[in-house]
Amino acid sequence: MAMLNSNGFVLTTVDELLSWGRRNALWPLTIGLACCAIEMMHAAASRFDLDRLGVIFRASPRQADLLIVAGTVVNKVAPMLKLLWEQMPDPKWCITMGGCASAGGPFPTYSTLQGMDRIIPVDVYIPGCPPHPQGLLYGILQLQKKIKEKGVKKYDKAFEEFKKDMERQGLIPREITV
Amino acid sequence: MPWMNRVVADKVKLEFKDVDVEFTKHTTNLHVRQERLIDLLLYLRDKAGYKLFIDHTCIDFPEKKERFQAVYILHNPESNERVIVKTWAKDGKLPSLERLWPCAKWAEREAYDMFGVLYDGHENLRRMFMWEGYPYFPLRKDFPMEGIPEVELPSLTEIYAGRKEPPSHDYEFMHTRVPTLEDLERTEKSRLQKKAQLVLNWGPLHPGTHGTIWFLFDLDGERVVQSDVILGQLHRGMEKIAENVYYFQFLPYTDRMDYISAICNELSYVTAVEKLLQVEVPEKARYIRTMFAELQRINSHLLWLGTGALDLGALTVFLYAFREREKIMDIIEGNAGFRLTTAFLRIGGLHYDLAEGTLDVVKAFLKDFPAKLREYHSLLTRNRIWLRRTKDIGVITREDVFNYGLTGPVARGSGVPYDIRKLEPYAAYDEVDFDIPVGEVGDVYDRYLVRMEEMVQSLRIIEQCVSKLEKLPKSAPYVNKEHPAVMAPKEDVFMDLEDMVKNFRIVVHGESAPPGEVYVSGENPRGELGFYIYSVGGSKPYRLRIRSGALYNLSIFPKLIQDGTIADAIALLGSLDPVVGETDR
Repeated sequence: MAMLNSNGFVLTTVDELLSWGRRNALWPLTIGLACCAIEMMHAAASRFDLDRLGVIFRASPRQADLLIVAGTVVNKVAPMLKLLWEQMPDPKWCITMGGCASAGGPFPTYSTLQGMDRIIPVDVYIPGCPPHPQGLLYGILQLQKKIKEKGVKKYDKAFEEFKKDMERQGLIPREITV
Repeated sequence: MPWMNRVVADKVKLEFKDVDVEFTKHTTNLHVRQERLIDLLLYLRDKAGYKLFIDHTCIDFPEKKERFQAVYILHNPESNERVIVKTWAKDGKLPSLERLWPCAKWAEREAYDMFGVLYDGHENLRRMFMWEGYPYFPLRKDFPMEGIPEVELPSLTEIYAGRKEPPSHDYEFMHTRVPTLEDLERTEKSRLQKKAQLVLNWGPLHPGTHGTIWFLFDLDGERVVQSDVILGQLHRGMEKIAENVYYFQFLPYTDRMDYISAICNELSYVTAVEKLLQVEVPEKARYIRTMFAELQRINSHLLWLGTGALDLGALTVFLYAFREREKIMDIIEGNAGFRLTTAFLRIGGLHYDLAEGTLDVVKAFLKDFPAKLREYHSLLTRNRIWLRRTKDIGVITREDVFNYGLTGPVARGSGVPYDIRKLEPYAAYDEVDFDIPVGEVGDVYDRYLVRMEEMVQSLRIIEQCVSKLEKLPKSAPYVNKEHPAVMAPKEDVFMDLEDMVKNFRIVVHGESAPPGEVYVSGENPRGELGFYIYSVGGSKPYRLRIRSGALYNLSIFPKLIQDGTIADAIALLGSLDPVVGETDR
């Protein structure tokens, strides 16, 4: 936790600072699949105004770090969504909005994916058919809480990869001794 | 709407000796041998005036020798009559109607996708909703609703948490077939033979496509040489579900088809089922239904206005339109308990009576909304950018309206006054006064004006409903609970043993419907939403076909965008206003 001492300095850890920045600027990818997308639009529009939480919809997966799966994921869309998920840079999070995306919802049929977590790991499941925009807001707040508690350690796979890459190329950073 | 009368049927019989004319309770059916099908349809289109193509589908009878029965529904705009033409698919083959009605090729592709019926003479018989290489035909009776589990897909969330068994939800590791990216690429390649410089993919996950439609444009510079649409990114198997649930259980699914106008969908569906079960609806329920359907129409048109304008760069209109949408949704939520997918209507009436104070809120909305509508007009109607983007773009002629089976505001924008609310009044539409706005040119701008005027007309209808509902006593019934197939309202169920037993019986065994068939449609904000129910008795429909207005309206898109520029695609798609939940079902 950040602490303010009497001299006006803020003491915190890098992890905490990063997680603070990340959880307060969650940029979701603009994807609407079905009914829930309408409620997602409502959450972003005049009345609920997601912008005030730092949630700003981005049209490119390269700029997004949150995937809100709003609506029924049918089998045909599943590989496309997975591709988009893989195109998003780490760290990234996933919210499934509504019953369909969470577990198939009212569609136990041949063409529907029975839960988004079968193709990508999910952080927050929001129930509802569709959830109220307030439900989505609550889900986002829960995700912020989760990021705060868990930090970003879970997601520094990319850093490890980067480190391994450096080692492979013989560019091992020298330890600085003071 | 009346069906083909005996005079015309006799004329057809005179011309075609081997056609069997069958007058069922709700329809007129012409049974024809497959060889004579094209001739009969040509005669019906050119001589008898049945030129509006409503729908085509198949019914699967696995025990019959020729397994698939094809059903064609046509409409005569002059005499306002419908007719059903039926034939059997010989060796699983049918002739294609592509030459007669261009929109038929989409319906045929759907029938091919769902039943595996082949069409002779079809230009590109491809899967409509599933992907290339999908081996099954889902709507056949021997295919289970849940599909055939083939792929192992355990929950990744559970696995990353270090668990091997799935404890949190009760589901199977095995899953139905999921395509690979190669499958999708093959699907894409099979649609277009590249002719020009570049094939541009628009969608499937693009915010401008209003859902998950996948467009392919073959571009020569900025000019579109040819284009195609890949649907099925929201195909959830509604028609298969309908065959597996009771009539009342399917009602919430209709909400999730055209999710922007849920109450209108419900109204079309319950009207169809009520006609099949012969249920009378009390006056109060009819007026409440009409009022909410019109509120929903305004709601839906506001979404069209907001997103359509947003796509063309007018963000203000989007925010303003959503402000009004919230008000309507609050009214709906106050009554139905749900904002979007309401499940407010019931077979035989409504789920709830009007909530306290609804009429006052509606009256306040009626007072408030015209000023807001003027605001939208002042933002767009004379806006130079808006005019340049919409005038003379995507002109639909009157002939195309019939050839492509266009309905709703798209047809009316081209000057065809086709409105089910007038032609076949349901709910209380025959008792209220309203006008049908029509366009002159048939371009994007005309469709915009038509929808704007429709909102004004909806206000008029709501006003009349409110004044009527105010006069009706509070204790007037809102559900016809005397009918054996209609569930009693909740408050009676808790107080009355008979009602409880009846509800218990219906919930467990379903309503028992008489054998027969019925086609009923309602005027949705996106065109005619029709339900063709084929019942063989029992509590589940044997076949329930959903005639989607949005699907047929979208079918003209490739023609309209041809030789246009890529920038017009967005304006054009916004004016056709498809909703993927309804096009794909």
